[in-house]
Amino acid sequence: MSRWEYFLKRLLLTVPVLFLVITFLFIMLRLGPLDPVAARLGPEASGADAQAMRERLGLDAPLWEQYVMFATDLLTLDGQSWVVQADRPVTSVIAGAAPPTLWLGFWAILLPLFIGIPLGFYAGLNPNSWGDYVASVSGIVWQAMPNFWLCVMLLAGLRQTQGGGWFGFDWYALGPELRSITGTPDLDFLRWGEPVGLPMPTAVDWGALAVDIKLILPPAIVLGSASIAAELRIGRTAMLETANANYVETAKAKGLTDRVIVWKHVFRNALIPLVPVISNEAFLLIGGSVIVEVIFNINGLGRIFFQAVIQGDLPLAGALLFMFTLIIIFLNILQDLLYTIIDPRVGYER
Amino acid sequence: MGPESTADREGSPIVEVRNLQTAFFTEKETIRAVDGISFDVVPGRTVGIVGESGSGKTVTARSLMGLVGRPGRVLRGSSIRFRHLETVREYASRFPGRTADLTDPSVEPADLLDRIDATPETFGYDDPRDVPVAEVVAAGYADGLGLADGDDCVFVTEGEPNEPETITDGFVEISRLDGEPQRLIRGGRIAMVFQDPLTSLNPVYTVGNQIVEALRLHRGLRGAEATREAARLLEDVGIPDAGRRVEEYPHQFSGGMRQRAVIAMALACQPEVLICDEPTTALDVTIQAQILELLAEIQERRDLAIVFITHDMGVIANVSDRVNVVYAGEIVETAGVEALFDEPKHPYTRGLLRSIPGRQTGDRLETIEGNVPTPNEPATYCRFAPRCPEAFEACESVHPQAVSVGDGDDHAAACLLYPEELSRTAAVDHHRERTHGGDG
Repeated sequence: MSRWEYFLKRLLLTVPVLFLVITFLFIMLRLGPLDPVAARLGPEASGADAQAMRERLGLDAPLWEQYVMFATDLLTLDGQSWVVQADRPVTSVIAGAAPPTLWLGFWAILLPLFIGIPLGFYAGLNPNSWGDYVASVSGIVWQAMPNFWLCVMLLAGLRQTQGGGWFGFDWYALGPELRSITGTPDLDFLRWGEPVGLPMPTAVDWGALAVDIKLILPPAIVLGSASIAAELRIGRTAMLETANANYVETAKAKGLTDRVIVWKHVFRNALIPLVPVISNEAFLLIGGSVIVEVIFNINGLGRIFFQAVIQGDLPLAGALLFMFTLIIIFLNILQDLLYTIIDPRVGYER
Repeated sequence: MGPESTADREGSPIVEVRNLQTAFFTEKETIRAVDGISFDVVPGRTVGIVGESGSGKTVTARSLMGLVGRPGRVLRGSSIRFRHLETVREYASRFPGRTADLTDPSVEPADLLDRIDATPETFGYDDPRDVPVAEVVAAGYADGLGLADGDDCVFVTEGEPNEPETITDGFVEISRLDGEPQRLIRGGRIAMVFQDPLTSLNPVYTVGNQIVEALRLHRGLRGAEATREAARLLEDVGIPDAGRRVEEYPHQFSGGMRQRAVIAMALACQPEVLICDEPTTALDVTIQAQILELLAEIQERRDLAIVFITHDMGVIANVSDRVNVVYAGEIVETAGVEALFDEPKHPYTRGLLRSIPGRQTGDRLETIEGNVPTPNEPATYCRFAPRCPEAFEACESVHPQAVSVGDGDDHAAACLLYPEELSRTAAVDHHRERTHGGDG
């Protein structure tokens, strides 16, 4: 079986999984104690108005009909929000909220990758040195701090810096100027044009990009904090184990330089145990972004999902969960693909 | 001495190990894993090092490769001299800053010994006038005397160091190597085959890639040419269908195949010396026989010097020309392979031979009771005494020195029972005298 046949098979196997997910979603959301009509019209709504709204949303149809409607709307991307942004198509609600979340997620994955792994590898290459102790202890401290608490503390700390403050710098004035340290990044840094008839980015507004990055850094650090710590600790262990492996000894006996030994023989083997850690972190981001987006006042998917669930907005919550499921399945497949690329011992045969 | 160097003459050693001491400095104690071992490695011959687990065999091998890492260190007074003329010439021209000229005849060895507070016994000589200046300097004693700098590692004893072609005698001191000159020796001049073939190949690179790596480093081969050479090397060690095998990963090889691949890798750069650290221990008996046969064949073809380390007396009898029996970091007996097996002198050697299955007399397999002690203090007694069936009182207080036993000069044992022709008291006095000479 070739690599691509294998992954095609994996993709086909996701179809039944998706159907189960749709059904489960419907049961959970529809049979739960949430009342979208009350959420939309207010608890005081009179019987006639409520009845009219019920009919409009299709809530008086038999349950199986509601299920079919829900499923077809999901699969054809055709639903409309019931409550959160009433009567807007679900796709446009998601399209509006997705960019800030993607921007947040991008940095929340990137920061751990470029802080956690290098620190972990450094600690593993210099075990029991001062650098190792500092990195390992701070890793544990990072991991011990819960997101919601860290969010609030970071916000409080950064607010104090306005106009100089405790820490001797003003976060608002440092680099690109910010009026508020919370809020949704507008992500308007690309200049679009049609140089060859197709719309494509033609220039980057560096000032706007810097503002967007500065705005997203605090929430991204919070969201990635646990990942930084986990990648640091797994990276350190992986490096230590690999550096003592027999094939590293063989490489030394061959007369290779330390640089080649570390980058060729140690690095790639140490990455193998990090693959599932990194992809699992991506799962966590989806859940974590709800809290972080609410606290940092970012109008993203996490926040909208939270509102949709507590207000019984079945099509919107369903569509978002469906999307999260798709992302997780896709990440799993990507993880397996990465495994087969990094480690030749992982094959496609049973 | 003619224009030919010592190394090119028949039977003269290419590597001389003298008084090798490697210690590990832990917080709790200092472990003298190798404590004063000396032996020669001769081209075309196999020298065996045999002993139980924990006797210091592997540390000896790693010291030869310069692979002893923290907290371990090769101590001052140790010397591992690589007497390959071609290498000495090449090093003298490539690293002139690290080459020391020891041709000055005005330096008196006896004088030198006085100034550094050492005795001729440290270097294995009785008379101070016999000790070559080069050996004192190589062992790290003379750094402060203006004869060598701290990082000198190439020592020229005959010829002009500034004109490498005129050098006719000299050596590279392996225990003083680091950086670039050390990497050139490793793999290029001295190669090593490790104990466990299942883990000594990197699982994420093809076997070919790992051989090519060595070829590129030491022979400058690249691309398709290097791959062809790698396939040829695999074929040489008896791997069928080598052209395809080059592209395969280690996990696609069987255990025996992997050890063949490791041997191919070690031979890739045409080393002068091959160190085999228990190369067959992880393999089953038939594969073991095949690998030993392969090594013997390669040795004959290339006139390779082999250092063979094992705990298996049967294998040692098979492969080596000369055997050193080590116990707790010391050589307790050294002899030609036939002399050792026919007339073992040291009680430890006898014990080892008796514990080979099939050799004992009774129903039960005979063993040597107890374990190898950890050598964590300088030896002032016989380290084997607690387990020795023939131990007597003096064994607890006198450190035995190697004395000649048997007919030739080349059979020696470090045991208070010898020399046999002396009475026991006289023999003990003989050892005590030599020990005290060594201390004073």
